[in-house]
Amino acid sequence: MKKLFFAFLGLALSTGLFSQTLDMSTLAKPPAGSWPMYNGDYSGRRFSSLTRINSGNVKNLSLSWLYRVNAGPGLGSNVSSTPVLVDGVLYFTVPDHVWAIDARTGREIWHHAHESKGGIHLGNRGVGVYGQWLYFETPDCNLVALNLKDGKKRWQTSICDPDQMYFGSIAPLVIGTHVITGVSGDDLDIPGYIESHDPETGARQWRFYTHPAPGSEEAKSWPSTEAMVHGGGMTWGSSTYDPELNLLYFGTGNPQPVIAGKARAGDNLYTESIIAVNPDTGKMAWYYQVSPHDTHDWDANEVPVLFDGVIDGKPRKLVAQAARNGYFFVLDRTNGKHVVTSKFTKANWAKGLNAKGQPVPDPAKDPAKDGVLVAPNQAGAANWPPASFSPQTGLFYVNATDAYSVYYIYDDDEKPEGWGGNDRGGWSKSTLKALDYKTGKAKWEHPWEGTGGPRSGVLSTAGNLVFAGDPSNNLVALDAATGKPLWHTNLGARMSNGPMTYELDGSQYLVLAAGDMVFGFVMNEK
Amino acid sequence: MPDAPGRAVVLQVCGSACHGPSVVTGAGRSRDQWTAVVNQMVARGAKGSDAELGQIINYLSTQFGPGATPAAGAKGGGPPASTGRGPGPLGSGAADSHLVDDAGAERGKTLFAAECSTCHGQKARGGNEALPAAQRGSDLIRSLVVLRDRYGSLVSPFLTKGHPMRSGGDAKSLTAAQAGDLAHFLHQRVYATLRNGGELQIQNILSGDPKAGLLYFSGAGKCSSCHAATGDFAGIGKRYDAVTLQQKFLFPRTVAFGRGAPPPSIKPAHVTVTLANGQTVAGNLVSLDDFNVALRDAEGNYRSFTIQPQIKVMKQDPLDAHVALLDEISDKNIHDVVAYLESLK
Repeated sequence: MKKLFFAFLGLALSTGLFSQTLDMSTLAKPPAGSWPMYNGDYSGRRFSSLTRINSGNVKNLSLSWLYRVNAGPGLGSNVSSTPVLVDGVLYFTVPDHVWAIDARTGREIWHHAHESKGGIHLGNRGVGVYGQWLYFETPDCNLVALNLKDGKKRWQTSICDPDQMYFGSIAPLVIGTHVITGVSGDDLDIPGYIESHDPETGARQWRFYTHPAPGSEEAKSWPSTEAMVHGGGMTWGSSTYDPELNLLYFGTGNPQPVIAGKARAGDNLYTESIIAVNPDTGKMAWYYQVSPHDTHDWDANEVPVLFDGVIDGKPRKLVAQAARNGYFFVLDRTNGKHVVTSKFTKANWAKGLNAKGQPVPDPAKDPAKDGVLVAPNQAGAANWPPASFSPQTGLFYVNATDAYSVYYIYDDDEKPEGWGGNDRGGWSKSTLKALDYKTGKAKWEHPWEGTGGPRSGVLSTAGNLVFAGDPSNNLVALDAATGKPLWHTNLGARMSNGPMTYELDGSQYLVLAAGDMVFGFVMNEK
Repeated sequence: MPDAPGRAVVLQVCGSACHGPSVVTGAGRSRDQWTAVVNQMVARGAKGSDAELGQIINYLSTQFGPGATPAAGAKGGGPPASTGRGPGPLGSGAADSHLVDDAGAERGKTLFAAECSTCHGQKARGGNEALPAAQRGSDLIRSLVVLRDRYGSLVSPFLTKGHPMRSGGDAKSLTAAQAGDLAHFLHQRVYATLRNGGELQIQNILSGDPKAGLLYFSGAGKCSSCHAATGDFAGIGKRYDAVTLQQKFLFPRTVAFGRGAPPPSIKPAHVTVTLANGQTVAGNLVSLDDFNVALRDAEGNYRSFTIQPQIKVMKQDPLDAHVALLDEISDKNIHDVVAYLESLK
């Protein structure tokens, strides 16, 4: 009887997904074995409760299929998106292209190509799904809605202006009747914002600029309104969401002008901050700035990861970010109050931490005409490749990069604009770190041989596993508790996205990309 | 991409993991500018040997130099480009972006300096902020009229509506060709401020004290334990410019190029593998990860081994001292050492 009940439950769950649609109740509590959005669920933890692939059998993991995208050479075909799974079909992107492939076989079901009118084709993180529709952003600043079933376009709507050098790259996040979009582009001095769009029509519901309202207390963190409304703070990272608090969390990018910060004295709010807004109204609940007055292009767009923990014996709702500036932050996600700050890589640019746990920039490490040696480098201690948090181990896993480069000022004008400087050269070395959220200290770390950073994401699972890429093109499975490598395979190119996992027909799959190749691994248990 | 020596290397190194060739064909750049771009890509993870990076710079400077014509449709689905310079090699902006004609921009610059710069500033970034707003011209780099303009399509109607000029005349009197020249100049100023605008470069970095540099070189920096001013460093200040010297001693494996010198050979790391039976195999390190090691032995043979508990791998990198220096050296030390090395003519 019990067995029958579970069989029915399973049927109900799969029926919910079988009609090639997704509703809000599924998105808010995705069934184990599903992966209905970029990060797997709203929390951004990239933790799967599946255990069919585990530390005991991972050495038997087999290649099930390999799909090779063909969207032109190089970057055009570099898969940095994390596939989304809906009813046995994987949906993923490269700039201007979306594919639907069979999650069991890798067989292409459809391919949609967007006719581009420009923009930077640097990368695309993937799709958001609502009902029978799929949403993605394009480099030429459009939010496009496709029909899941055949990839036919339903509508497209503009989300930014390519003439101001904006472009689109993120995976839209669907929350109820909101499709949340962000914008990229730090070539010119333009403001960042996020928007919400109607999933049925594409109509804009609200826009939230990542700078304070002119005249507000926070606006005093800029020398003038002119500087503030041209102050950057792009929203090209992945957002997360807490359905209970009804708060959307996202990070913001560098202030502008980026390296030459002479004409923007002050903290430059809300650049390089973690921000919580109400997705129904676009109104801000709180902000926390991880890099006050940055001059090194350290966008704080790394995923704000949501989890519940225990601090000083009390249960707390937390949000954590391993930031590009080399510091790891844990905050109370109900109010943005600081809990923990730690240095998770080399970082020589701050004099220390202030009372709120924010690093205080050392002016001696501002870029200079004759060059200043700074750690981390512009690419950062971490970047867009998503980290992972396992509630099973309580550890936050991040591919962390120690790096140095020299930052130069090119333009010592009183009012530099755009890119009046840059960094050059560099040395870097990466280490997979498992950070204890209570202290920010590494419980274990696994240094990768060789220099250079793997720009790949991390996945943790209830099978006591962590999956990560190394700089030598290996996909490595490590023991989540100890960091011991248990299995690896050489992909022929560096892992270029964040790995994801799902279960179909009683088998657990692991899917990830390296360059233009999408790999589907499976555990053959029999 | 045009077929010329180096094309294959460009496609292999630049087009394999990160971006396609079309992103580099949008703009003409000088050799120095291309060198800076390549160095930046190396810092961002591009992998190539020094020789390959040298070939890439040669290819890009020859094929996509200052006079180069952007490839038609360089940004994918956009309309074919006419001649001139677009926003930059990464493909910023719309596919039909204004392409700058250098001669037109030069004429526009002269006109701008004479008639517009008093209010809008020499660099078109707006007037002196100390002036009252009414007397201060707006920042034209941030102007939507300029950014959305194509060959005077918005700039010209804006001016012909009537706009004061320094000479006392009115912009109504400008010809369409003059407005077009101003548009070329303004777009040129916009593109120069972009991430890879290319016009702005590293300035004079010789701020250090050569005597203090020598002290550090032979003292705390321990540089003299491997290098000598009368030996391998004789005349090094003639061989490299200051920026290259600075980059080379801080990051010897991410080489910066200077003065067109061919890429120097960098000392490879050395590795000794001791097998289970006690036999050792040694050579220059080719690759090493958690699982495998590969080397080229003295006879040039490629050897690789699976790393197992009974195998010992000893890596020796002669450049490790440079990496260790990064944690210790001060910016003053850096500037002093550069000044000292530069003095070794």
